[in-house]
Parts: sequence; structure tokens; C-alpha cells
Amino acid sequence: MPFDVPARVLRHEALNPEHFLITLEAPRLARAARPGQFVMLQVREGHDPLLRRPMSICRVPPGGRTVQILYKVVGEGTRYLSHQPAGARLKMLGPLGNGFALPERAPRQTARRVGTRRPILVAGGIGVAVFPFLAETLQRLGRRPLLLFGARAHRDLAGLQLFRARRIPLRLATEDGSAGARGFVTRLLEPLLREKPRNGGVELYVCGPTPMMRAVGGLAVDAGVPCQLALESQMPCGIGVCLGCVVRCAPQVGEPVYRRVCTEGPIFPAAEVAW
Amino acid sequence: MKRRAAPPRSIARRADAPVDLAVDVGPLRLRNPVLAASGTFGYGTEFLPYLKLADLGGFVTKGLSPRPRRGNAPPRTCETAAGMLNAIGLANVGVDAFLEEKLPALRDCGTVVIANVFGETRDEYVQVARRLNGAAGLHGIELNLSCPNTEKGGIAFGVSPPLIEEVVGAVRRAAPDLPLIVKLTPNITDIAVAARAAKVAGADILSLVNTFLGMAVDLKGRRPVLDNVVGGLSGPAIKPLALYMVHRVHREIDLPIIGMGGIASAVDALEFMVAGSSAVQVGTVNFFDPTASTRMVGDMEAWCRTQGVRRVRDLTGTLRLPAGMPGGRSAP
Ligand SMILES: Cc1cc2nc3c(=O)[nH]c(=O)nc-3n(C[C@H](O)[C@H](O)[C@H](O)COP(=O)(O)OP(=O)(O)OC[C@H]3O[C@@H](n4cnc5c(N)ncnc54)[C@H](O)[C@@H]3O)c2cc1C
Ligand SMILES: Cc1cc2nc3c(=O)[nH]c(=O)nc-3n(C[C@H](O)[C@H](O)[C@H](O)COP(=O)(O)O)c2cc1C
Ligand code: FES
Repeated sequence: MPFDVPARVLRHEALNPEHFLITLEAPRLARAARPGQFVMLQVREGHDPLLRRPMSICRVPPGGRTVQILYKVVGEGTRYLSHQPAGARLKMLGPLGNGFALPERAPRQTARRVGTRRPILVAGGIGVAVFPFLAETLQRLGRRPLLLFGARAHRDLAGLQLFRARRIPLRLATEDGSAGARGFVTRLLEPLLREKPRNGGVELYVCGPTPMMRAVGGLAVDAGVPCQLALESQMPCGIGVCLGCVVRCAPQVGEPVYRRVCTEGPIFPAAEVAW
Repeated sequence: MKRRAAPPRSIARRADAPVDLAVDVGPLRLRNPVLAASGTFGYGTEFLPYLKLADLGGFVTKGLSPRPRRGNAPPRTCETAAGMLNAIGLANVGVDAFLEEKLPALRDCGTVVIANVFGETRDEYVQVARRLNGAAGLHGIELNLSCPNTEKGGIAFGVSPPLIEEVVGAVRRAAPDLPLIVKLTPNITDIAVAARAAKVAGADILSLVNTFLGMAVDLKGRRPVLDNVVGGLSGPAIKPLALYMVHRVHREIDLPIIGMGGIASAVDALEFMVAGSSAVQVGTVNFFDPTASTRMVGDMEAWCRTQGVRRVRDLTGTLRLPAGMPGGRSAP
């Protein structure tokens, strides 16, 4: 069940001039949160801007009383947010959305067992924000997630320390070649999908800009690999009542339908999304 | 420290007296004047995690059509200065699913439930109204006249007085047992003309306003932001426009009014009452502050208490106009 709370900013770090990690105190919300869920966060008091901003729950740090959000300044709302000092209170509604479908806990010592798929997390740009919580949860379930992270340039590879601290293996790609392989993240993914499935093969968890998710979702569907996409959309309410956030889906039976990204998602099987 | 003098007894007593928040709006009796507006409150149950429906005066469902509708292609919304544009395209579950699935879940919700109704033809309005008439647990219907009439080249019903009379009259006959609220569109030169047509055709109550037509441009792409090009503007940005229209209709037409448009606080709501509303609806605020509606009720009571207003209904239409100016200035 979601909660609407006046959350106190405990820490607010600039990771670089555009990327911020904010820690908000919200015990009940933090306890209820699952990977892939999000919050609607007020960026400041008043009616400018009017609407709260959807933000993925990036991490629930140990202790379970706080949530962290990793965000990039892209416009007015995120710029106002970046000016909120520690001690400020921001209204925060969550946890919202369905969250990722998680695998079962792997029995001890059998992470390599046949039939166990290796989770590959595919991030594009600030889409990486949804993955630290997922990666930690997968580790707790006895899995060994691998992060493939693509971005425009080195400075857009934000939040790497959140993965390194947990010894999560990662491979990088940048469009300008300033870090990792030169090119799109699909360059890192394609060889993995071509490999003969060992030990049960792989499963994908994807979050990034729409063209990237389209491309990765397409590759996964063609390869017959399970793939969950964390979609983005304009979200006025986040709770399923405005019907503004819909995405076109083509279910296996019946007519295409519009599904609400906020409540029926934001996580969708790649095979269902008909952009 | 110097002690403050005790207030005179009369004021003290007044400040302690309970405030009566109940309002009569035509045939509807509401616990308090705050309703949630159509299209911003789902079918009610979506808000159960955040508030008690019984704390509201009532709520209006998403607009219902004879059959389910998918609505427009995305993008459907766009934030604007202190407001937002929407072109949802009247997506809804359809009147049958509403009666079978949504309304039964509201049986014991303890508040007034109003079904919002629209159609693309007069007959579609009538079909929905006939299905709703007599439904257990439903307290009234609200006709959304902002819908385009597909038989008349797509002009909205609500901009043509003859069309208003036709559709309101037909719905009146199709649902004789339900209080009938007619919701006016502001996209008309003189809203009083539309209000008069609704009254002539048998409306019990007027609600106003629906959203204002507007658009947003993506400059880089030189494209409209909304796939539908045009959308409806709502939120605090429209409050002065809506307030004026409530004032205008209140001066011209003798029917109870449910006012709305940009209400975000108890003070906003009370201003609408002073301008002539018997009750109010709150819409867009539900999106960015899901408990605003019920908090507003508490704030309203507190305001009345401090101002010595014993019955909130006594505020309706109490606007003090400059002498010799019964309707306010006609031009700025
Ligand atoms: C479920 C969900 C989770 C999200 N999680 C995060 C997160 O963890 N970290 C993060 O930095 N951002 C996240 N976002 C995106 C974030 O909500 C937007 O960046 C933010 O709303 C932009 O607000 P603004 O006022 O700064 O920018 P605006 O002035 O509103 O927009 C600036 C630019 O960003 C684009 N934009 C705005 N909103 C979106 C959006 N929702 N999707 C794609 N493009 C958009 C606009 O088209 C425009 O070009 C998430 C979005 C969703 C739907
Ligand atoms: C997303 C959205 C959907 C709406 N859907 C309907 C609807 O189905 N029927 C209707 O009569 N009004 C609808 N409205 C209009 C509102 O009920 C209300 O009249 C308008 O938004 C002005 O009030 P506000 O500024 O408080 O939102 C909708 C408004 C919004 C923002
Ligand atoms: S954001 Fe309002 S329905 Fe999804």
C-alpha cells in the first residue's frame, strides 16, 4: 500500500554537476518498497511546477528507514529539486507501480545450476537509477547480476559506485568512446545474446530512453530471452486515475490496448509493448 | 510574561460552536461542500489508500459512455504554467462495467456518488442515463456537455443552446429518478446562455466549468506536444476564469451551482462559494496532492470557526458588489 508522507531530506549529494543522489527519510514507504517501483516526489512548495515528478526508488539503504533517488537535471522540476537542502521536507507518495518480477531464491551453491538464468541489467543513461535496488535484491536471492551500462559520454555514467560497492560486475559503453566500448549498449548485449545458452541462459531487465528500450526489447524478443522493460511516460498522478501515462500494448490475445504505465507498469514484458 | 486578556465571552462561545458544513444543492444533500471532480478521481476506490470517501461531500466518476473506450494515443498530457493540458479522449470502462464492477464496490462508501455521463450522439447520452436510472447506490448524474457531437460535425454539445436543450431534455426523461447536474463547457462566448438552455430543459443543478481548450507546442520539433493537438486546460491557472463564470451564471440563472476550476485549497473553495457556488469540485489538485480534498474540508471548518461563520452554506453568493453594479463591470 502506498503512503503519502512529508519526507525529510537527510543527504543530498551532487555526483557531478548534473547528477544527484538524494536520501529521504520515509520508514513506512522504505519498508514497503520493492525493486522497480517508484515515488511521486514534490520538487518544491507551491504551484510552479504543479505536478510531482516520478522517480525510481534507487536504493533502500540498510536500516530500511530511508530511500535514495538518483536523478539527472533535465528541466525546471529536477533543477528545483537539486536546490533542496538537507532538512527540507518534500511530499513523497509511494511505493507505486508493480515492480520487477523477481526470480525465486536460488538454492545454496547452485547459482550456476542448469535452469537458472543469469540476470543482465541493461541501463541507458539515467535509466540506471532503477538498478541498484534490483541488483542488491538479486544478490540477496543468490543471483549474480551483470550490469551493461551505456550512455552518451563518461560523465553520464552516473552512480557506478553504487554497483562497485556491491562488487557487481559491469561493462560500459559510451557513444563518444570516452569510457568503455564506443557505441550503444546493444553492442555489449548482442554477443551475450548470441552465446550458446550455458547454465540456463540469461534474462534481461532494461531501463533507458525509449529508442534504446525499443532496440533492446526487440533483440530480446528475437532471441527468445525473457525481458522486462521499465518504461517512462508523462505521469501527472502516478496512481492510475488521470489515464495520462498510457502505453500501447498488444496482448497475446485480443485487440491492442492502452495500459497505464503508473499502475499496470512501469515494468512490462518486452513482448507486450507495441510502441 | 504578560498574560493575554481572555476573549469576550460571546466570541469565545462562537469559536467553540461546531460549524455546520452540510449543504443542500437542489435535490442533493451533501455532508460538506467538497466533491472530487470527474476524470480526476477514477471510480473512487483508487483513493482508499489515502482518504476516507465518507469525509468528502461526494465524488463524480470518470465520464461513462455506452461502451468501453480506449481513448486517444499518447502523449495525452502536458504540464503548463500552474496547470496542465489533457486529451485523454474520454477513455472509460463503459456503463455496464461501471454498474457491474465499480458501483457495487462503493455500496458502503458513505458518500454521495455521482456518475458523469457523455455521448457522441444524443442517443448515447440517453442510453447511459437509462442504464443508470434506479441503480442502487447512485445519487445523481452529471452530464458532460464538452463532448463533440459526431452527428453535427464534431461541435461540442455545450456550445449550442438548441443542442443543450435537446440532450438535457432527453436525459431528463430517460433518468427521471436521478438528480440531474448539467456540466457546462467554458468554451463559449457567454456561458449564461448555455446555463439558461440547461435550466429550460430541466437541469436540477449546474456544474461549471469543464476544461478550457488549449495547446502546447514543442518548439524544437515544431510539433504540437499532444498527439491530439488540442487539449483541455485545468489546474490553478484557470481559477480566475472559472470564478468569473460562476459569478456570471449565479447572477443570471436561478439554479444551484457546483463551482470548479483550479481549486487547490479551502480558501479557493470558499471564494467559489462566495461567488455563487453551493458546493465545489476539486480536480487537478487530486493528481499532485491526493489528500487535498479531505484536508480542504477540515481547513474550511477551521476558517469558518475563526471567522464566526456557523453554517458554511450561508456563504453562498454573498459577494459584496460595488453599489449600483448588480452584475459587476461588463468590461474591464
Ligand atoms: C516511473 C518513472 C521513473 C523515473 N525515474 C527517474 C529516476 O530515477 N531518475 C531520473 O532522473 N528521472 C527519472 N524519471 C524521469 C523524470 O521523472 C523526469 O526526468 C522528470 O519528470 C523531468 O522533470 P523536469 O521538470 O526536470 O523536466 P521537464 O521540464 O518536465 O522536461 C525536460 C525534458 O525532459 C523530458 N522528460 C520529462 N519527463 C520525462 C519522462 N517522464 N520521460 C522521458 N522524458 C521526459 C521532456 O520531454 C523534456 O525534454 C522517471 C520517470 C518515470 C515515469
Ligand atoms: C485528466 C482529466 C480528465 C478529465 N475527465 C473528465 C471527464 O471524463 N468528464 C468531465 O466532465 N470532466 C472531466 N475533466 C474535467 C474536470 O472534471 C474539471 O472540470 C476540470 O479539470 C477543472 O477543474 P480543476 O481545475 O480543479 O481540475 C477532466 C479533467 C482532467 C484534468
Ligand atoms: S499517471 Fe495518472 S494514470 Fe498514470
